[in-house]
Amino acid sequence: MILSLAWKNIWRSKRRSFVVMSAVAIGVWSIIFMVSFYNSMTGAISRNSLQHDYSHIQIHHEGYLSEPGLGFQVKNPSRLLEFSSQISDIEATTGRLIVNGMVASPKTNLGIQVYAIDPANEAAVTDLPSFIIAGDYFINIKRNPILLSQKLAEKLKVKVRSKVVITVQDLEANIRAGAFRVSGIFHSKSPRINNGVIYLRHEDLSKLINLPDTAFNEFAYLLKDNESLIETKQMMEAKTNNMVRTYREIAPEFDMIEEGSAISKQVITVIVMLALLFGIINTMLMAVLERTKEIGMLRAIGMFKRKIFLMIVLETFMISLVSAPVGLMAGFLTNVYFEKNGGMDLSQYAGALEQYGGDAIFYPQIAQSTYLLLMLVVMMTALIGAIYPAIKAVNLKPLEAIRKL
Amino acid sequence: MKVIELKNLSKIYNPETIPVRAINDVTLSVKEGEFTAIVGPSGCGKTTLLNMIGGLDISSEGSVEVGGVSIQDMNESQLTAFRLQHIGFVFQAYNLIPVFTAKENIEFIMVLQNMDAKTMQERSDDLLDRMGIKNQKNRRPSELSGGQQQRVAVARALAARPKFVLADEPTANLDSGSTEDLLDIMAKLNKEEKITFIFSTHDQRVIDRAKRVITLEDGVIISDEHR
Ligand SMILES: Nc1ncnc2c1ncn2[C@@H]1O[C@H](COP(=O)(O)OP(=O)(O)OP(=O)(O)O)[C@@H](O)[C@H]1O
Ligand SMILES: [Mg+2]
Repeated sequence: MILSLAWKNIWRSKRRSFVVMSAVAIGVWSIIFMVSFYNSMTGAISRNSLQHDYSHIQIHHEGYLSEPGLGFQVKNPSRLLEFSSQISDIEATTGRLIVNGMVASPKTNLGIQVYAIDPANEAAVTDLPSFIIAGDYFINIKRNPILLSQKLAEKLKVKVRSKVVITVQDLEANIRAGAFRVSGIFHSKSPRINNGVIYLRHEDLSKLINLPDTAFNEFAYLLKDNESLIETKQMMEAKTNNMVRTYREIAPEFDMIEEGSAISKQVITVIVMLALLFGIINTMLMAVLERTKEIGMLRAIGMFKRKIFLMIVLETFMISLVSAPVGLMAGFLTNVYFEKNGGMDLSQYAGALEQYGGDAIFYPQIAQSTYLLLMLVVMMTALIGAIYPAIKAVNLKPLEAIRKL
Repeated sequence: MKVIELKNLSKIYNPETIPVRAINDVTLSVKEGEFTAIVGPSGCGKTTLLNMIGGLDISSEGSVEVGGVSIQDMNESQLTAFRLQHIGFVFQAYNLIPVFTAKENIEFIMVLQNMDAKTMQERSDDLLDRMGIKNQKNRRPSELSGGQQQRVAVARALAARPKFVLADEPTANLDSGSTEDLLDIMAKLNKEEKITFIFSTHDQRVIDRAKRVITLEDGVIISDEHR
């Protein structure tokens, strides 16, 4: 019956209850939205640099880390290519020869990283052809084709079919320069690649610097899924004396992004909950003060303090029990809406998003468990918010409350 | 049998600042089945006296025994339990829980007493019937007249099966018709079921119905008349 009393008490001041319930619902909804948004953004950033840049696993010579360049080429490259057929979890493999160099146009020259690749393998691993926005993927230029990012092309003021000169050092530190022609201009989802990587064919670079066709200093592997990452890495390690690393080991930013996003989500949740906490305390305090006489009467006729306490806590609890699911539902429906309608178009902010490697379309993402967790957090908040008003109610003296008749 | 026994009871408000001796050395006993009015001018100490009898306030000097039990030294929680089990209260106003119906208001106190649902049901129906508010049982206090509200309050007080009912100016907010009705019911309960009533009042018509009239003045009993 105390339950029923608490429930009925909520609806005494409909407007006040409605206001605090709306606040809870809106707060919950906004947290769902923010969390989904963050997940979407950081998910996209991680996914993009995983899929289009680092791949799941890379293999280098162990000396390559301290001295990247031609000096430390992978040992037994032909065996590394064979992994694809030996390890079933590998989707695709590509070998690269990476060297620092300069690219020069008639207007200017820039320091860049040259990625000498096998076009077909690279396409299978990083999906590079899908980012071509002008020209094509090593097709229409027969001699020394090259791919430039849109960003570099703009800086160099070159177009498709323009000529550029690539300068690199060979193993003996001799400067070698070659004329290349822009085959395609791309815009990758990886900011790192956009900012300073150019692609050319492995055979063209090896010819320029007099290296065999089998010279590579990096192998990248795309796996069928992330689950088998560690297992696959261990299998590879057993088969090679090169250094095998997962993307998490290569790029600590994956962990940093995740941590940063977790912290941001927590901070937002705490802020919203604090706001709700004060709203709840305020509302319940008003509800208690308004009922001073009634609570005094209840104490007088023999209602124990702990039952008064329970009544106020239940009222607070039920307010959030009613409103939090509304917010959760609203959040859920918002996410469903954006999923059904192709995401939220954020292309206005695409510039900023792409700088961090995000996507221009926001696809809400949220774990089912977040809903449950949020519900618990709201309940906790309500409970904490109930304590002070409940203590106030309990400390009302029956006598003084009734005297005010 | 004595239900209430007061010995040299005094109540001093603000003992440190401006002491007010609201009750001054009152000795009094009330027997089972009495229908007693405490009367006197405003400020004479009626409410103060009833509050001490009802365990709502602590006396400054003297002792209060209810049903042979001294409530003098009880702590707050013991007093609450005592009030719940042994005393029925009817106040001048704000007696009822506004969100509950008449029936629910009567049942609520039995819930507090952990009475079983069946007894509770029977008792509330019976009381509603006897109070003549059977047809209003599903109405909330705001949908009842002042007289009907006070009858629900009396029913609520009785539902707890108290040793006696304390009523501080139960008719103060009622018109003369409702006052008569309420007194009829109280007198009938007193006569037929030997329920002990102690009430305070200003109202001469109420005083006329009492079987014992205790007159207070400045916290002192100046007359105690049985009739
Ligand atoms: N809490 C208090 N603090 C100080 N003085 C008080 C307090 N309560 C009552 N008094 C004083 O004690 C005296 C008795 O008050 P009480 O309320 O018992 O009178 P009463 O007979 O019930 O009056 P009324 O007929 O107006 O209800 C009065 O002089 C009053 O001013
Ligand atoms: Mg009074």
